[in-house]
Amino acid sequence: MSEMKKIKNLKEFSTSADRFEGANLLCPGCAHSIIVREVLNATNDDLVLSASTGCLEVCTAVYPYTSWDASWIHIGFENGSTAVAGAEAMYNALKNKGRLKQPDRNPKFVSFAGDGASYDIGFQWISGCMERGHNIMHVVLDNEVYANTGGQRSSSTPIGSSATTSPAGRVSYGEKKNKKDMVAIMASHGIPYSAQVAPNKWKDMVKKIQHGMAVDGPVFINAVSPCTTEWKFDPKDTMMLTDLSTDSLVFPLYEIIDGHELNITYRPKNVVPVEEYLAAQGRFKHLFKDEYKYLIKEWQERVDANWAYLNRREEARV
Amino acid sequence: MANTGWDEFEIGAMLRTFEGSIDDIAGTLQEDRKYTENSSFSASVADWRIEKPIFAKDYCIDCQFCWIYCPDISIISRDKKMIGIDMDHCKGCGICVEVCPTNPKSLLMFPEQADEETEIAQWPAKETKEK
Amino acid sequence: MAFDKMELRDIEVWDGNFAAAQALRQCQIDVVAAYPITPSTPIVEGYAKFLADNYVEGEFVMVESEHAAMSGCIGAAAAGGRVATATSSQGFALMVETLYQASGMRLPIVLNVVNRALAAPLNVNGDHSDMYLGRDSGWIQFDSYCPQDAYDLNFIAFRVAEDHDVRLPCMVHQDGFMTSHTAQGVHTMDDDTAYSFVGDFKPMNDMLDFEHPVTHGVQTEEDWHFEHKARQHNDLMTKVMPKIQAAFDDFKTLTGREYNIVERYDMDDADVCVVCMGTSVETAREVALEMRAKGIKAGVVGIRVVRPFPFFEIQEALKDVKAIAALDRSAPGGAPGMLFNEIAGCLFNTDTKALLSGYIYGLGGRDLTKKHLVDLFTELQANVDAGKVLTPLQQFIGVRGPKLQFL
Repeated sequence: MSEMKKIKNLKEFSTSADRFEGANLLCPGCAHSIIVREVLNATNDDLVLSASTGCLEVCTAVYPYTSWDASWIHIGFENGSTAVAGAEAMYNALKNKGRLKQPDRNPKFVSFAGDGASYDIGFQWISGCMERGHNIMHVVLDNEVYANTGGQRSSSTPIGSSATTSPAGRVSYGEKKNKKDMVAIMASHGIPYSAQVAPNKWKDMVKKIQHGMAVDGPVFINAVSPCTTEWKFDPKDTMMLTDLSTDSLVFPLYEIIDGHELNITYRPKNVVPVEEYLAAQGRFKHLFKDEYKYLIKEWQERVDANWAYLNRREEARV
Repeated sequence: MANTGWDEFEIGAMLRTFEGSIDDIAGTLQEDRKYTENSSFSASVADWRIEKPIFAKDYCIDCQFCWIYCPDISIISRDKKMIGIDMDHCKGCGICVEVCPTNPKSLLMFPEQADEETEIAQWPAKETKEK
Repeated sequence: MAFDKMELRDIEVWDGNFAAAQALRQCQIDVVAAYPITPSTPIVEGYAKFLADNYVEGEFVMVESEHAAMSGCIGAAAAGGRVATATSSQGFALMVETLYQASGMRLPIVLNVVNRALAAPLNVNGDHSDMYLGRDSGWIQFDSYCPQDAYDLNFIAFRVAEDHDVRLPCMVHQDGFMTSHTAQGVHTMDDDTAYSFVGDFKPMNDMLDFEHPVTHGVQTEEDWHFEHKARQHNDLMTKVMPKIQAAFDDFKTLTGREYNIVERYDMDDADVCVVCMGTSVETAREVALEMRAKGIKAGVVGIRVVRPFPFFEIQEALKDVKAIAALDRSAPGGAPGMLFNEIAGCLFNTDTKALLSGYIYGLGGRDLTKKHLVDLFTELQANVDAGKVLTPLQQFIGVRGPKLQFL
């Protein structure tokens, strides 16, 4: 076990030497790279990384440029998790056989993927990786939409969001299905650690990433990643949107240890009405018409119910 | 590299980030690394910007909010101090300005053509917040 | 923990699957990521059992689909070590996306393909549909005719694939059931001899070299994609065959067993010949000898290296023959068969006046009988005597109902 990086405060954190580079092609204000930086900077250990096809991948490894300062692989849309699982298997094989070039390292194996690549097309691959117990971390950059292909709904897209394949229109309020609870599904694999994180709460994020990197076995992280392009807000407001997402409890921050022990890790001092979160984004604009206002009420009720559920889970200590 | 022929690059379209060997990447700051021309660090997205941030050091409290929330690794912090902006990599999103907590802000957005010295000379005064 | 060596008899009675599994053991594969499918499953089961019995050191990752199997193999190969797996048919079809990724990233993976028909209708028996599906994927493809070949060609495959001038993945094909499940005598190598033939794995652009980080699997658009594909094709066309020939030569020196890029049987004075692959080669060889007893100078050409396609070797093998039958064991999908087309392409600008006809046979494991081949050679001789092809250019052999022929 390598020594965990000490990050007492933001000043100390800011001495990190980033292993992710600028002049990538992500949109101005994209939360993906904020999340990636917080994840990578949480450790000083060597990294073996993957990205599934998606915004992060197509914007950070466009020939002849790479934005990665650690070994990185992309195969396809669905199999980034299995790519690092394969690399991890090779690491174990070479370690046992005494063939590692630098045998004294403690590399961390991390795959990044969007919600489309995780909740939908890559679901089976991730489930397989979680079940098999690879010592890897899968991080979802959850922007609740297929942003890279222009805004189609995924199974992470929430009710009432206008996506290009579930558009709001004269007789439709957009997406009709509720978001899949991926953290719960992954926790059900009995993995040692799963958590939901947000880049605004960097300390919570770093703590969880460090916890995840320290445990032996697969780790699942769902990171809210407000998308300036598809959520339709000004690029400068990314962190404001992230604050609204966590403080309205639309994205509650919690962790699940060993598949069952749930801890809420952030309790907003002032809980913001869900309406404010929705109002800040163009994708929910139509919900503010008179005929759809009932959906905002239902949104609030759903968020309240989920928060109550998480609290009961935490209290139950089961 | 634009005129590189099919027989002139690494097989598998593999890219290397650094020239030669690097022992401890996480312990080596950008200025001490030998990037290849294939690292996007060697590239620039400065022409993406319509507006640019200008940094008025006098008001900065080195809270590092801009460093942590910059998506483009463009806030240069060294020894816990914010020392400047990497204008090759800044896309002008404006997040740094939004998250800056000082009053007046230590970072503000200006048109790309604005002159840094002029703008710092006429930096807005402290705002009095109405109760 | 050091692994144990296994004592083998000089000749073991192995089926093709076990022969391949033994080869994987002797090559000391570092990672196998695999998913079961009939008829290839026993290969990876064999590796798993060798691992369980400490006859090999490595990691066996039993994944949840063939797509994940090849994905895991790609990740493992990019990490830097010796990687292999096996599949068939539908599993192969599910892998196709990742096959192109493996070859495009120039990762030396060895895939044992136990050839099986593709659904629908579902079928577990041998034909070459899966082999044909992989033919544009940028892999090197070797074809075995019997368990001995399946054993030997795995060593050749690792030797060629891992060569730093090549760095391309290899498939080793064998016929489902006819080879994979038919036990025959297989001449073995002892563990040390076998391993020394492939040698230690030499990493290249390996992700686990933390002092030299690499980016694998980039995006290239219209400005770069063509150059990378051109490079890969160039290496397939110019670098692979000499390496294969060198490996065949070394292998012959080591074992006495000879392999050729194109195998020629009784071709020196042949008037008529069939060109085929897999177990059919052995049947055709036997029939060709019988035809000679009847006065027809018959020969057989077996394709040993399917990709890169042995263009000049085929030209050379067929230059003096008068009638050729191309035997394709895959539903041609509204076209002449692959071998028919490739052979026609080889011969088109040459001086040959050979008559070329195509035959589709053996789909879904349907037997190719000696009687079929006797009739076929007789038909070829009739073409020679008439100085033209007397039949349609594409005929189906062994299918029930009215004679099926086209073109």
